[in-house]
Order: sequence, then structure tokens, then C-alpha cells
Amino acid sequence: MPKLQIDAEVNGRKISREADPHARLLDFLRDELNLTGTKEGCGAGECGTCSVFVDGKLVKSCLMPVAKVSGSRIETIEGLAKPGDLTPVQRAFHKTGASQCGYCIPGMVMAATSALRENPQADIEEIKERLGGNICRCTGYTKIFEAVEIAKAVIAGDMPETALEEDSVEDSYIGANVRRIDAPSKVSGRLKYAADMKMPDMLQMQVLRSPHAHARIVSIDTSAAEAMDGVACVITADDVPGKDGFGVFVHDQPIMARGKVRHVGEAVAAVAAEDLVTARRALAMIRVEYEELPGLYDPADALKPGAPVIHDYAPDNLVKHIPVRKGDTQKGFAEADLILEDDFGTQQVEHAYLEPEAGIAYVDPDDVVVVISPSQNITHHRHMLAEIIAKPINKVRFIMSPVGGGFGGKEDMIYQGMLALCAMKTHRPVQLNFTREESLIASAKRHPSRVHYKMGLKWSGQITAIEFDMLSDGGAYGMSSEGVMRKAAILSCGPYEVENLSVDTRGVYTNNTPSGAFRTFGGMQAQFATESMMDMAAEALDMDPFEIRRINMMKIGSSTHTQQTLETASLDRVLEAAEIASRWEKGAPRVRGAERGDLNGPDTRKPCTLGARIKNAAKDDAKTTERVA
Amino acid sequence: MARMKRGRGMAASWYGIARTATIDRAGAWAELDDGGTGKVVTGVTEIGEGILTVLAQVAADEMGIKPQDVTIGDNDTARSPEAAHAGATRQTYMIGNSVALASREARNVLFEQIADHWDVEIEQLRAFDGEIWAEETNLRMSMEDAVATCKARGVVPVGSASFTAHGTGLDPVDGSGSPWQAYVFGTQVAEVEVDTWTGEVQVLGIWAAHDVGRAINPRGVEGQIEGGVVQGLGQALMEEYITDKGHAITHGFAKYILPTSLDIPQINCVIVEDPDPKSPLKAKGIGEPALVPTAPAIMNAIYDAIGVRMKTLPATPEKILKALRDHVPGREQIAQSARQERAGAARH
Repeated sequence: MPKLQIDAEVNGRKISREADPHARLLDFLRDELNLTGTKEGCGAGECGTCSVFVDGKLVKSCLMPVAKVSGSRIETIEGLAKPGDLTPVQRAFHKTGASQCGYCIPGMVMAATSALRENPQADIEEIKERLGGNICRCTGYTKIFEAVEIAKAVIAGDMPETALEEDSVEDSYIGANVRRIDAPSKVSGRLKYAADMKMPDMLQMQVLRSPHAHARIVSIDTSAAEAMDGVACVITADDVPGKDGFGVFVHDQPIMARGKVRHVGEAVAAVAAEDLVTARRALAMIRVEYEELPGLYDPADALKPGAPVIHDYAPDNLVKHIPVRKGDTQKGFAEADLILEDDFGTQQVEHAYLEPEAGIAYVDPDDVVVVISPSQNITHHRHMLAEIIAKPINKVRFIMSPVGGGFGGKEDMIYQGMLALCAMKTHRPVQLNFTREESLIASAKRHPSRVHYKMGLKWSGQITAIEFDMLSDGGAYGMSSEGVMRKAAILSCGPYEVENLSVDTRGVYTNNTPSGAFRTFGGMQAQFATESMMDMAAEALDMDPFEIRRINMMKIGSSTHTQQTLETASLDRVLEAAEIASRWEKGAPRVRGAERGDLNGPDTRKPCTLGARIKNAAKDDAKTTERVA
Repeated sequence: MARMKRGRGMAASWYGIARTATIDRAGAWAELDDGGTGKVVTGVTEIGEGILTVLAQVAADEMGIKPQDVTIGDNDTARSPEAAHAGATRQTYMIGNSVALASREARNVLFEQIADHWDVEIEQLRAFDGEIWAEETNLRMSMEDAVATCKARGVVPVGSASFTAHGTGLDPVDGSGSPWQAYVFGTQVAEVEVDTWTGEVQVLGIWAAHDVGRAINPRGVEGQIEGGVVQGLGQALMEEYITDKGHAITHGFAKYILPTSLDIPQINCVIVEDPDPKSPLKAKGIGEPALVPTAPAIMNAIYDAIGVRMKTLPATPEKILKALRDHVPGREQIAQSARQERAGAARH
């Protein structure tokens, strides 16, 4: 295909380059100009990590064909300040701790800069509105809002420049708000994540994924793909030289599907080629013949007799059952004045880190297989990969690249093995960058859960017994299910001393997207049920929700659900702190919202109302007209 | 009936620090380097939580230098000691403590040489912010000179350490065991407004009180709480990965809805410090625990506002509207009969 000629001004310099006609502005900036501060988070204009200015207007560069920018003036994160310098917005982000993983931050800084350029007097509501197209998964946005407000005040001269400097330290650095040492590299877009790295002679890898949830692989024919110009290698499970299998607890997942596929999106084969387009074309040339098998999509069905078996080693589809028993629940329920029984459910949740999975592998001159990726567990990955590729452990090296958000979702070794195999087969560096869609279907999620709960209480509010039964969908592979079930069981009945309890947590295999580690590791699913029950019990007993918790709370010397004696316990203090801070008005939770006196305080935000956007826009127009006039 | 209804709810929580029901360990190397700078090497890196800054603060405080003068070499299985994984709310607790101990050892090597050089007792030496001095004397010099002095005497001030957390496994029958040596507790209050016409819930305020042991970097702790609260809010109200016979329906951010700037409540953080007696730093952790109480606090607040209890997450507008439509006052009846029964019991 003929190339396009692109003449434009980028960060104040004239450039003249050829570009592929299918390229987006994002590809052009990253691949042709090495301006990798502009990130790809979703490729669909939803997340804002690729925000840049074109002729002064904030645009999402993943939605703009490069052909449209010829003759335009483009400004990226790298062009906001001189090298080594930072703008007031960037310095304010540094000051407040507005960057965490940093992957959304270049786009967020562009959006914040745009907001203050468009309206230097923007109030906080307008600032929030103007940042609305940019997703951040780490910070909870609060420190970002603070940063933009400080930057606004400094730019307007309402605050001195010193407001952007670090707070002074007294006699210790412990307990001091030292600014994040990695923030300048993040707010300036200089930090290189795995997808931003390039090595000489590097191949691009793409993965063929299963279209079926449960199917036997009858045959795979890779010959046509292998014969293509520009294809360096094609790999399948047959290329694994050692003992195939990985997982955080049980090694039940092959590097690529072996004999059968167990979920939609499972890797079946991979291609390494001279460029991305060739690798994608080659995938289409691989012929896989499947024989579909009956699938399991509901965790309750997985435990039924005669259910399809997903892993031969687990004929009952059970990944893990954790029982916890303490005291005598029969006796406890007999002593109860009130027994409550109910069911609770939580959904499958995506980590949605802004950095999709990415990595590079190469074989170094000493025959060490090196994998660079945002892995949350390089120690364990090294152990597993050494077994899989049959190498001594010191011939496998994992380097953890900056992680653009993990939350547990980057603990599973779902692609590093494939990268290593391609590097070993070609002796060239190989890179794989997931698309957002690929990340969504191939990576683990938070376990969806169902809890059946029975709680007995005395009129005094004291809990006499709890029965807690949780069923979780582990999906197609074990990943972290065992540990998640264990943590859910240990924490199940909440921070309360319960004399008699019976807890069961079960994780089962299905043909759904696998569940794995996710911030709280089962803790939130279990405690959502417990804290809902506590509120219902407080209502039934006409008791303030803080009070019923104080009656049952763990203290120093309490015996936990697993019969550990606590040497420290701070629940009394955090209850008091939250009660005071929130100006909590005492009373039972009996739908008294309408009559509460503690609502709508200065420590809440105003609700957003429909139409505010339009009103604000009208206000902007008026202001713009004023400025022009 | 008023269209907009407000309410408040609360929830408490607890969590264990570091790996569960097993022994946990982390290693680190440290060196007081030329120019009075510091070098720390450990096997795990930043996933966004701010651990590199925490480690720089810890190393600086132990070595008597400035955090910006600490270089951290990290994240490489072939070049750094094992620090295991970045998860389980273990980074500050495990790696923070191993870096503290390694840095302390490097400083002690330097202190031995300087005490001998100045002819003072080692106990008299103090170092902070790039300077070293001997108490009850006029002896004082920069850490740059101190390192040069130490090296001129033929000694490179290095240290290494391993930190252990002693968790035990669970009994396979009754689950008994001591899974963690440190626990944290938290409590959150949520204030919501429910639009009874559209079913939309807005969270207007969160008050989050969390025990972290000791806050190494309070602003960083707040950042973890705010991020955890907003992930909890997302799970409470909007996020749901949906599959149909194993096929994802929510295959992009147009379908998988995440909290954005207009969804964010005012988050009021209260940091509670109950020092951990088994940790040299006294710190525990906050990464995961911050998320635990958010969703139940929001559901309890929704109940306070509109009298329907959302028992399955997420509480989407559709589910709220359906719950309002299908609402039968069952829960209130249980509460009422419990009250009557209790009053009866009190009379007898």
C-alpha cells in the first residue's frame, strides 16, 4: 500500500515523515516519533490515556487517522515543558501525589492543561466535567482534583509558586509527606512501560485465542502461517520443552491450550513476525479444528453429579474448599433470641488497570532467557518458567517493568511463557502488547460469589452463632482461587468475636473467564455479606449500627474465627474515629434518611444534576465571548 | 414522595497483612555510597502504590541521608535479592522492614568506623538529613565526608537483611491457625442520594477511618484509601463483567463502566495508628483493606435512604428501580415482630 506523506508541527518542530495509511495519530506518535508518553489504554476513545492537542484542541489520538493531522500543530505530553522542566500542572501533580501507577497520568495532565487553558477560572465542578473523559484506576481522582486546583491558583497568581514545593521536614522522614520520587518521570511521560520499550531487531507477537468456551482441539495446522513472508515463528503447546503448567497455587494452566480449550479467549497458538500487521495476518492463516464440549457456566451446576468435567485432576470441579469451625453452632443458635437468614451476591469485576498486559522476551549472550513485563510476582514466575522451558533457574531472568496498575491482575503468568518460547525459537527480541479487548477476555477477574448467611443474636445484640456458606466461580483455571477461598474463610464473619461458627468457602471450575487475585482477595465479598447482616440485625434490634459492632468487636485477647489470640486490635479506635469524623447521628438503621440531621455537611460534595453540563457549556460560551471581546 | 432521597450507612472491616497462612519473607541489600548517598537493592518494584518513595524514606531515615539521595535498584531476579511479590498488602510491611534493617546495618558499619575515627562511643553517634554528629561533643561532619572517611579506612559500609512474618497454615478440618502476625481494622461511613425516578445513586461523602500501624507517608496512605474507596464504589454501583455462555458481553470500556471524575464523593480520610509490635517500622499496610467496607457502607446507606436492601452487587439504576417497584415491607415486619417479641420478653 502506498505510504502517506505527513507534514506537521509536533511539539514546536516541523516534521516530515511517511506513514502507513491505516495508522492512527497514536501509532504515528509512538512508533514513528518515539513519543511514548502518549499511551494506548483502550484504542476506542473511552479511557483518555492517549490525549494530545491538535491545533490546540484536546483529542484522543487513538480515534484520529494520521492522514487528518497533516498540516496541523500537535502537542504531546513531552512538549508541555522544556526537557528537565515541568509545568505548574505537572508540578502540582507531583506535589499532591496525583500520580500512582502513572499510566493514565500523561493523558490526565493533558486534560487538566486543556481545562485550565480553556477556562483559567474553571471551578471544581467544571474541572471535574472537563476531566470526565479520562479514567484513572488508582488514585480515586481526589489528589488529581487537588492538583488541578493548586495549579489553577498558581497560574492565576492567587497562590505563590512555593505552593508547588515540597513540605519541609522536621526531625524524621518517617511520617513526612515526601513527594513521590517516581512522579516527575510519570507526569512528564518519560517513564517507559513495557509497551513503550523497543529493542533492535525486535519481533511482534500476536496470539490466536479460543472462540469456544469448552472444546477439544482436534488439530492445529500452522503451515500456511509459517510459510508467510515476515513470519519468524509460530508456536503451540507442542513447542513447550519442559513440564507445562502454571498457576499461583495449582499449576493447572498450560502456556497455550493443550488438547482442549476451557474458556473463550484462551491462548491456542502465537505468531512472532517482523511487524504487527504481518503477525495478525498470520493468525488468520492458522487452521484449528475444534470439537465443542458441553460447558459449565454456573458455579452451582459445576457441583452437580454428572456435570461436565473441566480438569481431569478435579472430577468434582472443586478447586478448593476451606472449612472453618469454632465452638458449637447448634448450641449457639439454640441460645439465640433472634435468627436472621439471607443470601448475598457479588459480581465478576475487572481490574481495569489502564496499562494492558505487555512484555518483551529475549535470550541474552549467556543463554539466559530474559522476560521484561509488569509482573506482580517475578520470583514465582521465574520458578514456574524454569520448569516449563526446562532450564536451570539462573538461566531464567524476570525483570519487572513499571506496572501501569495491577490490583492482583498481573500476578498470573498468562503470556510471559509464550514470549519466552518465541524468543528461544528465534533468538530475537519479541514483544507482545495486549489490546484492551484481549486483556478483558484473557486476564483473571474478581471472583463472583454467593453467600448463604445465618446469624443468631441475643436481644442484647451479642452474636451467638454464624453459619456462612460461600460459593465462588473460579472460572476455567485455578489461578489464585485457593488463596482467595482461604482469605474469604478466615475473614468471613468480620471483625467480631463469634463463639460458635461454621464457615465454608468453595471455589469451583466453570468455563467462564478465570477468576483470580483482586485487591482484598475474597475479603470484600465475604465482608459485604457480614456487614449487610450486621445492619439488618441492628435494625431488628433497634440498635445503632456502631453500637451493635462495639458489642461484638474483636479486642486485644479476642479469639479470631481461626482461634488465633489477637495481641493488638484497633477496631474500637477506628469505629470512634469514623463516628466522630462523620458527625454520625445515633439511631437504628430504620430508613431514617429523611429525618437525619447529619446529612449535607461541608464534608460532602454537591450532587451532580442533569443539565449541569449544558448550563456550564452555556456559561463557557459567555466567558469565551467575553474574552474575545 | 420526594424524588431525591438521602441516607447514610456504615460498615466495619478487618484484614491481615502479608501472605496468608504461610511464612512470608523479603530480602534487601543496602550501601552508604559516595557523596553521602544511599543505594538499596530489593527484588520487587512499584505497582503504583508508592513503595519506592516509602523505601527511600525508610532508607534515608535509617542511613541519616535525604530520600532524594537514595537510589533504588529493584525488580530483577538476576540482580537483586528475593522480595517475593507485589501484593497481599505486604510491600511496606515486608520490604519496608527488610530495607530498614539492611540500611541500619550499613549505617552501623559506618558508625563503627566514625566512632573509632573520632574516638567516641558508637552510642553517641546520630545521623540525619546528610549530617553525622556525636552527641555531647562539637564533632560533626557531612555524610559525604563520613563515607569518604570510612572508605579511606578500608571499609565499604554495606548491609543486608531478611524480614520474616510468621504466619501458620490452617488446620484442614477446623481451619484453626494463625494466618497473620498483624491485623488492621477499618470503618467507613457513606452518604448517598438516590434518585427514585431514575434509580441512580450518587455517593456524596465517604468518611474512612483505617488503622495503618504507622503512616510512613500520610499523603500516600490517603492516596491508597481514596483509590480503594473508588474501586469499592465502582463495584457497589456500576462495574460488572458479564458473560453469556462464557462469551464476554462487556468487552470494552464502553460496556464495562468505571467510575470517572463526576462519580467521586468527597473522601474524608482519618488515619489511625496502632503500632505493630512485631515490625521494626511499626507500620502495617493499607493497599487492600481500604476497599473492603466501601460497598456494604453504600448499600447500608441506600437502605437508609429508600428502605430497600440491595443484596446483590452492583446496585445499578435498573436494579434499584426494580427493587423499589417490587418492594414489600418484609424486612420492616421482621424488625417489628422482633421488637414486639423483645418487648414481650422484657415484660416477663
